Amino acid sequence: MPSVATYATLAEAASAMTPTSRFLAGGTLVMRDVNYGDQGFDRIVRVPDPALKAITPDSGRISIGAGVTMAGILASRDLDFLWPAARAVGGPAIRSMATVGGNLFAPHPYGDLTTALLALDGVVHLSDSGQVPLDQFLVNRAGLVRSVSVIRPAGDAFRFHKVSRVKPKGASVLTIAAWLNRSAGRLSNVRIAYGAFAATPVRVTAVERALEGASLDQAGIAPALQAATDGLAPVDDALASGWYRAEIAPVYLRRVLLGEVR
Amino acid sequence: MAVEFRKDLFADERDDDLNEIGQPIIRQDILGHVTGRSPFYDDHLYDGLLFMRCVRSPHHHARIRSVDAAAAERMPGVIRLIRPQDVPVNLNTLLSLISFGRDDEPLLAEHRVAYKGEPVMAIIATSDRAALDAVARVRVDYEELPHVLDVEDALKPEAPVVNETYPNNTFDYHDRYDHQKLRFGDVEAAFAQADHIVEGEYQMSPIEQAPIETCGAIAAPETNDRYVCHTSTQALFFSLGTTAKLLDMPSSRLHFIGGTVGGGFGGKVDSHHEPMAVLGAMLTGKPVKYMWDRAEEMQVGAPRGGERWRLKDGVMRDGRIIARAFTGFFDAGAYTRLSSYAVQKATGHLPGPYMIPNVASNVYCVYTNRTPSTAMRGFGITAVDFAIECHMDKAAETVGMDPIELRILNAYRDGDMKAHRRAAKNCALIESCQVVAQKSGWPLSAEAMAQSSLFGGGIGERGVIPETVTDQAGQIGERKRSGLAPEPFAGATARGHVPAGTATDHPATGNAPQREDMEIEAERLGFKVTRGASAPGQTPASPMPQPQPAATVAPAAPRPGAGPAMPPAYTAPAPASQQPVAPPASTRPQPTPPTPPAAPAPAPAAEPYKPEQPFQRGVKRPGVSRFISGSRRR
Repeated sequence: MPSVATYATLAEAASAMTPTSRFLAGGTLVMRDVNYGDQGFDRIVRVPDPALKAITPDSGRISIGAGVTMAGILASRDLDFLWPAARAVGGPAIRSMATVGGNLFAPHPYGDLTTALLALDGVVHLSDSGQVPLDQFLVNRAGLVRSVSVIRPAGDAFRFHKVSRVKPKGASVLTIAAWLNRSAGRLSNVRIAYGAFAATPVRVTAVERALEGASLDQAGIAPALQAATDGLAPVDDALASGWYRAEIAPVYLRRVLLGEVR
Repeated sequence: MAVEFRKDLFADERDDDLNEIGQPIIRQDILGHVTGRSPFYDDHLYDGLLFMRCVRSPHHHARIRSVDAAAAERMPGVIRLIRPQDVPVNLNTLLSLISFGRDDEPLLAEHRVAYKGEPVMAIIATSDRAALDAVARVRVDYEELPHVLDVEDALKPEAPVVNETYPNNTFDYHDRYDHQKLRFGDVEAAFAQADHIVEGEYQMSPIEQAPIETCGAIAAPETNDRYVCHTSTQALFFSLGTTAKLLDMPSSRLHFIGGTVGGGFGGKVDSHHEPMAVLGAMLTGKPVKYMWDRAEEMQVGAPRGGERWRLKDGVMRDGRIIARAFTGFFDAGAYTRLSSYAVQKATGHLPGPYMIPNVASNVYCVYTNRTPSTAMRGFGITAVDFAIECHMDKAAETVGMDPIELRILNAYRDGDMKAHRRAAKNCALIESCQVVAQKSGWPLSAEAMAQSSLFGGGIGERGVIPETVTDQAGQIGERKRSGLAPEPFAGATARGHVPAGTATDHPATGNAPQREDMEIEAERLGFKVTRGASAPGQTPASPMPQPQPAATVAPAAPRPGAGPAMPPAYTAPAPASQQPVAPPASTRPQPTPPTPPAAPAPAPAAEPYKPEQPFQRGVKRPGVSRFISGSRRR
């Protein structure tokens, strides 16, 4: 049975982490493992520091504390662009506990919020004041996270859609997040991310390149749809085969880009 | 949406004084459920309750070389380990309670595991987590063995043996064949006459019942050397009987309490938790809970078995199906459970609700290294029905006919002789098709709309058993030696001929129709009746169904009195028959369970508990058949 250690600050907790320690935030993932007798850890570390729940606007970006819950996002007017993504996570009970930091570590097919953060140029701020772009962070998913900062998208430039078989609480078959930055009427530096498609949420750089300078219409996005799964290895799971994911990706990508999602 | 009752159909065959059907009623248990007061087994939290968890195989198939539980035994909170040797009778088959099949499954595997998740040891501890932690410290030395996961691969000569009780990877039917045969008419001749041959293969996946409350039981010592068991079982007395057998104790020492199942759908009949929990309570003297978590429910909880069906139809240009052959494979997983029965249930259902004069099927209950499968909602029927109805569409497409009209043309009508040699009654497929077409705006011809289940059935050849061709292929063990193809008549070197209208002792063409303790509906038997009396349905042949009352409602033969005497309508088969005769399975003594090799000989216990009389099926109610509930329409 794991022991529980509480620390005042994230820095103290970081130095006290051992290979068999797990950091507990909202507990929606860790407590499940405790209940199922996970033998991979014997120590639970927690930090009840209110600073981890801060939401701080900063010029064109906004910093979200790792301890902010999905319900916290839904209660914040500054984060209204993330409401669809936060609402896509679990039911009310899960949303009241699940945190932004925890979502970065959620195993496939979870991580809908992370997919949104990835498309919004997420940068992870770690406990040692270091920072790393979210896509790099997802490769190893190591360290204690203090906060994540993202850009604040203008108007309808940010799009999010989750495909699931059971609504409203089903796990994702495919999640698409898109930041459609425009410059002089043409797409420029857009960011597209897929969740529940590969082992972690991923950026779809082939699509991003194909959209550079394109116009947001049927003809303009055609090359991007062609490249919808380029360079990605879709995974099989109990909800859908990799083949199925690859088949539906261009369909939903088109709907997201053209705003057809109902 | 309001329910619409079509009481105009079959109105003269039904009393319309029903109190329940068609009336809005309140479920008897719904008040407890919606107010959260229904007591489920998991609500019985005893003071000092102990928790049981199992060590499970990580392999599909492996030999157990050794088990080292020393570290687990020293873990804090661990009360007791339960090893296979602690189970008094560690070999059972669920249907042994009705003398069907041989004991083939241990409660805890001792020498060999045959599916991923098979339990090899149980640990009882003061908390669920302590039991889980101890389970993680048991070291089992496995020697992995080759495994087989596909039903047809399992039939190949080189396939590994999954279940040592059935070394051919198939359940033994009638002590003769590795499959259940059905032969009716002559499919080979009919295929040669048919204008089109339509073939198809249909595969159904296993389906987990996924109850909200996972399977489990809580057992505790009671006064007078008895044990109380609160359980989620769907089959309380079946579980009680199974527990009594495995624990070698009279059932009078078991007090089982059930009633609230927490979602069953067939997944709670396998009676695994009850003997485990009672055994735990016996060995510790304390209340013990044994419950699957969700992952166990999904991995080791027995699902509806996967099935593969191949159908071959002989179809005439006008849409009549004159022959249909089935090859069916039930994936039983590693042990029999209820799959052997599902095969027979499926065979009795063939060829579906259609009048097809020539039918043959070979259906196999196959062992593979997958999770054993069990009951789920119409198992044995739903999958083959899916295959049949897909195939009907395919046949309709082949002859360019409307699929609903093809069904109406071929549908059973009252009095038609079914492949399992009973006259059809209460037929309603034609009316169902007509109503469905009407409701969905599907145009049907006037001729199809004029058809009825009430006329045209049982006329001429439709009412009698045709001359039937039999074969002896697929004897037990033959396939393993020769790699015989599984299809009906494949590899058969000789044919037998059973004259029209007769029964033989052959298991493929019908046997003594029912058990001797059952009443027989003589008027529905397809077998030739006593010499001199006219057989049912023997009216002059007419090629097309005519709108006239069916001639099959012959006056019933006098009901037999109480006792095992056969009614006069049944002619016993001649003693000398063209087929080798095996004693009927019901009277054959059960073979002794095979002794596991190299098992340490248990202390010679007292004579194991045996009930004084074998388990008997059926109930006695005056005037009502024990097994045939044939009173829906009179």
